[in-house]
Amino acid sequence: MKMQPHVLTIRKRDATKWLAKLLESRDVIAPALGPCGEVLFSKVDSPEQVLWDFENPLPPPKQFVLPQTDPIVRIQQDNHRTEVAPIYDDRQRVLFNVRPCDARGIAFLTQMHEMEPADASYLRRAEKLTVISLACNTPCRLGFCVCSDSGPFLSAGHDIQLTDLGEKYLAEIGTAKGEGAVSDAAGLFDAATEDEVVRRKELEAEARGHFGEETCHFASAMRRVSTRRVADALWERMSDWCLECGACNFICPTCYCFSVKDRGCNGTWTRCRTWDSCQYAAFTLEASGHNPRAQPGERMRRRFFHKVSAQYYVRDGATGCVGCGRCIKVCLGTTDMPAVVAAIRKGAWHGQ
Amino acid sequence: MLSVPTTCPFCACGCGFFLLARDGDLVGVAPGESHPVSAGKMCARGWNAHEASLWGDRVLQPMVRRDGDLKAESWDLALDYVASRMRSLIAEGKRVGVLGSARATNEENYLAGRLARAGLQTNHVDFCHHSLCRPLMAGVEDVTGESAHAIRLTDIEASDTIVLAEGDLARTHPRAAASVLKALGRGARLIVIGYARTQMARLASCFVQTAPGSEGNAINGLLAAVLGTEEGYDSLRRELKAVSPSDEIRVAAGWIAAAERAVFLIGPSGGRADRLRSDAASLATLAASTGHLGRPGRGLLLLLGRSNVRGACDMGVAPDRLPGYQRIDDGEARQRMQQLWGTPVPPGQGLDAQRMLESVSGLIVVADDPAAVLPMGRRARAALKRMEFLVVLDAFVTPAVKAAHAALPIASLPETEGTFTNMEGRVQRVRAASAPPGEAMDGWKVLAELCARFGAGGGWSSATEVLGEIGEAAPRYSRMVPQVLDDGWGSSLLEEPEWASIALRTSPTEALTSPERPYVLARDGASDWGSDPLVSFSPTLNREYQSERKLFPNGLVEMSADDADALGVRQGWRVKVSSAHGGAVVPIRLRKDLQRGVLLAPYAFRDWFAEVLGEDGAAAVNVERA
Amino acid sequence: MDNDAFLPQIARIDAVRDETPDTKTFTLRFREPEDSKAFRFLPGQFVELPVFGYGEAPFCIASSPTRPDTFETTIRRTGSLTDALHVLGPGAEVGIRGPFGNGFDVEGARGKDLLFVAGGIGLPPLRSLIRNVLDERDGFRSVTILYGARTPVDLVYKDELKEWETASGVEFHVTVDNTLPGWTGNVGMVPILFTKTTLRPESTIAYVCGPPIMIKFVVQDLFMRGFREESVISTLERMMQCGIGKCNHCAIGHRYVCRDGPVFNFKQIRELIE
Repeated sequence: MKMQPHVLTIRKRDATKWLAKLLESRDVIAPALGPCGEVLFSKVDSPEQVLWDFENPLPPPKQFVLPQTDPIVRIQQDNHRTEVAPIYDDRQRVLFNVRPCDARGIAFLTQMHEMEPADASYLRRAEKLTVISLACNTPCRLGFCVCSDSGPFLSAGHDIQLTDLGEKYLAEIGTAKGEGAVSDAAGLFDAATEDEVVRRKELEAEARGHFGEETCHFASAMRRVSTRRVADALWERMSDWCLECGACNFICPTCYCFSVKDRGCNGTWTRCRTWDSCQYAAFTLEASGHNPRAQPGERMRRRFFHKVSAQYYVRDGATGCVGCGRCIKVCLGTTDMPAVVAAIRKGAWHGQ
Repeated sequence: MLSVPTTCPFCACGCGFFLLARDGDLVGVAPGESHPVSAGKMCARGWNAHEASLWGDRVLQPMVRRDGDLKAESWDLALDYVASRMRSLIAEGKRVGVLGSARATNEENYLAGRLARAGLQTNHVDFCHHSLCRPLMAGVEDVTGESAHAIRLTDIEASDTIVLAEGDLARTHPRAAASVLKALGRGARLIVIGYARTQMARLASCFVQTAPGSEGNAINGLLAAVLGTEEGYDSLRRELKAVSPSDEIRVAAGWIAAAERAVFLIGPSGGRADRLRSDAASLATLAASTGHLGRPGRGLLLLLGRSNVRGACDMGVAPDRLPGYQRIDDGEARQRMQQLWGTPVPPGQGLDAQRMLESVSGLIVVADDPAAVLPMGRRARAALKRMEFLVVLDAFVTPAVKAAHAALPIASLPETEGTFTNMEGRVQRVRAASAPPGEAMDGWKVLAELCARFGAGGGWSSATEVLGEIGEAAPRYSRMVPQVLDDGWGSSLLEEPEWASIALRTSPTEALTSPERPYVLARDGASDWGSDPLVSFSPTLNREYQSERKLFPNGLVEMSADDADALGVRQGWRVKVSSAHGGAVVPIRLRKDLQRGVLLAPYAFRDWFAEVLGEDGAAAVNVERA
Repeated sequence: MDNDAFLPQIARIDAVRDETPDTKTFTLRFREPEDSKAFRFLPGQFVELPVFGYGEAPFCIASSPTRPDTFETTIRRTGSLTDALHVLGPGAEVGIRGPFGNGFDVEGARGKDLLFVAGGIGLPPLRSLIRNVLDERDGFRSVTILYGARTPVDLVYKDELKEWETASGVEFHVTVDNTLPGWTGNVGMVPILFTKTTLRPESTIAYVCGPPIMIKFVVQDLFMRGFREESVISTLERMMQCGIGKCNHCAIGHRYVCRDGPVFNFKQIRELIE
């Protein structure tokens, strides 16, 4: 249901009160200081734990909508009689202070799982999740969110988008869920003034300015990938620089490939969905031993078709990439999204 | 969601990550950007490190074999039973032994060693991976008197010349391969010596493809070319007189000689133990003679196979070594251990893992399945069956557990506290993110109980206390204990050892082959991940291994298409492979990355070649269509 | 959204019939009557069948939706899951998820000549459509079935084949690659059966299922005889898991074998982007 977005503000010092209100009725997951001094998305116990000035955590908040090991069905077999029951995660959650790229990522995952036939277990969890994102006044070093319309500010699709105005946070309410997250604390919010709205637009323009003159390369890469104009030999050469760790899939806010495996023994099993990676050789390995994507170059080609092709763009209404830059950090090799997209455009890798 | 920093349990790169748990159950892993080794990266194994603990067939209760079957027993009764049976065997004058493990923590390994020497009064102590890595360590020791030289993975990234004598680095040590890729991206030169055109070989600036067992020829060649214009090294030059380096080796040697920062990496590839030792020695010689040994950021790295090979060695889990990897015949070292332990420490060298299996009557195995790891393969399984009293401590139901007379459940690595030492010599924390299932206990606790029952000490109340004692037993470990115990990754590098003299070595050059046996058959690789419970019980990781075993129920040998054509055979057809020891008939699988004259027996299929290869990793063979 | 795609329904094995030494046909009936009522499938669709404790695998439905109380699937023993399934007998419970996939376009085949070409274990997926057609015989023009297997022992649905041989309104030819004592029928690969029948490419839809090499030769033959790509139909096989086009195991380009297939015509197959 498309709502008329309405725009509020909250004084910075009242933000902790708002968080305290949210904590009364839901799990709040936010960037917080974790072990080894790293900032991680964690379930917080108190508003003070929520960070407002932080570098985007390396693990995205994907684990909270799509855990790496996700129990979905309970199976019990006694005396030849089998009973099954779905396992639903019905917790009310708020993802607080995620960046626009990660908010887009969650929205993308929800869209994928809504596609017919829909995936009830994911959607039940997503139904109970409200995403409150914090726009990026200062974009991160490695990000390229402008290339896929996933930042540094979102224009649509957000439950609530916060902007740091200095003394206050602007809150753009985009959905009924977003409405629901402020209604209990309505007294803490004021209607935004025209100046404040103008300031938010200025901040967005400044943030976009950080990305400089670089034009985005997805479009030309998309053309080549979609019409099979990328030589097999190029995929083969690039795949020599990939170590098939699957990190790109696991870290990506929009990747969701999985396997379904039953865990347990002796009459009691739990069916789990588990993360999987199209970069693993066994991803397409058939029982007969035949593997249609036996070569790493073929698997890499598949990955980038899914992420960057026009065919998928048309199907999904979006590129499978939010420009968060995480794959650059986690790639064991040197085949992250920007590097491969550049190679696709140029038709060459390392100058060849 | 709980995020617990820990160290990866697979290979010896020693990456770190956060284990994730929710409501007490493991859920997955998350990258740790601040980790000194991995910096947020992991390989496929690391990314799925939690799965085995969840999906594995777990040992849930202590079990004792009665009337032919393993039956559940209480901890006290099971431990007392183990103690009394072992005591009887000792009283009867029979041999007993202890196997630690390269996938067990330092604490578990240290107590296993203490149990053996102080408790059971035996030096029959070893761990199965040792036989695969020991030749490398011995070779380096031959040159400098010390085996613990190790550069860091970041040194590889910063180097300008890399010499890699490998099996398949991208498969065995992906994090190390990542460092090589980084260096290549910065313009470094890579020299690869190996028998297959692997991913690293394809990217190499110079790839010297040798037959298995003949890698030494390439190293000799580099040495000869490097020494060409060097002053001194007369004796080495004499040894290398007959060596005539090819042009490409001369070019590569030039790179090494001119390098500002060169690194030398060698792993336990397929091949013979004696050759591996001399290759490690000659590679160390190459590093030394070009001035790259013993300077910071340059030098040697032994690509140890499993997460805690180095730690097991440092804990003295070896028939001729004490904690600190000190020699058993080092009177001062023995004296110190006797003082620390308050018991005599028997003199003399004990039996290694393979000999132990063949000749002890009682054996305690910690977290390992000898038949899966040792080159002797199924002969190990037969030996375990013959054993009078076999005790296995493990988290997982392995074939060794199934053969045991007593099985004691321990926590798996995501469920326990302890430390590993990686191949860089970095001691790192292993932490628990969930509780072990059933009645399983921390491995160190179970070993502590056994130690107590044998008068070999007791009363440790935490893994930290055991680590403290390790600091006393292994001098190099004492300085790093406080750092390891801090709240973060708990990561601390051991000091490089001091060494004074160099004994330079070259590799032997006799060819393995002969006119009657013109092919070389070698075991490919030094490990079979598919039979390691951390992989075999992971649904994401085990697929390709299970598929391969299913598709080749009658064994397998790999060869090049050219050899197959010459022999008149096609994919899947059978060949007869015969050496001086014996023969085997198996189907072939073609490989594009092999040269003519080289046949490989994947480590997982080595049992089919037990007669052909005997004790060796490589042998000259004749091949004909079956 | 109540249709939880990962939640299996429970079905009982009603009957088991040996087809060949390594293949059996299982007749399955849902334990709960409401599951039975709700289970509506098209020929060509498949189910995911969990054998609890051994995993789950996709199997095509080999019976026709015109006979709704039970359904059949014909399964060859290839690994631990099918090994476990093969020792189960009547009364044993298994799971069923589905039906999944696009199924054959039965409506589009009405009024046309139908040619079925199957090899070995490729007959079961076609059988669901064949039985559907034969149960509504008047809706279709000629029905020609060409079937081959390696040896006479490897033919499936042996009793049914005899029915097809004698039924009016069906032209049926069978062959084996290698003969055995007692076999009096054709010997040779499936394409030899084209000489036994008259093909009308302009009005015929051809359905081809079997080992990849057989499909390759049969389809080549059909194209040479003038069949259009859109009129030659097959089923694709891939590793499949979720069945609902989400896990991505069966994706070929942006098409999902479990959702856009497994039934494809050869024009679609040619356009698939690996």
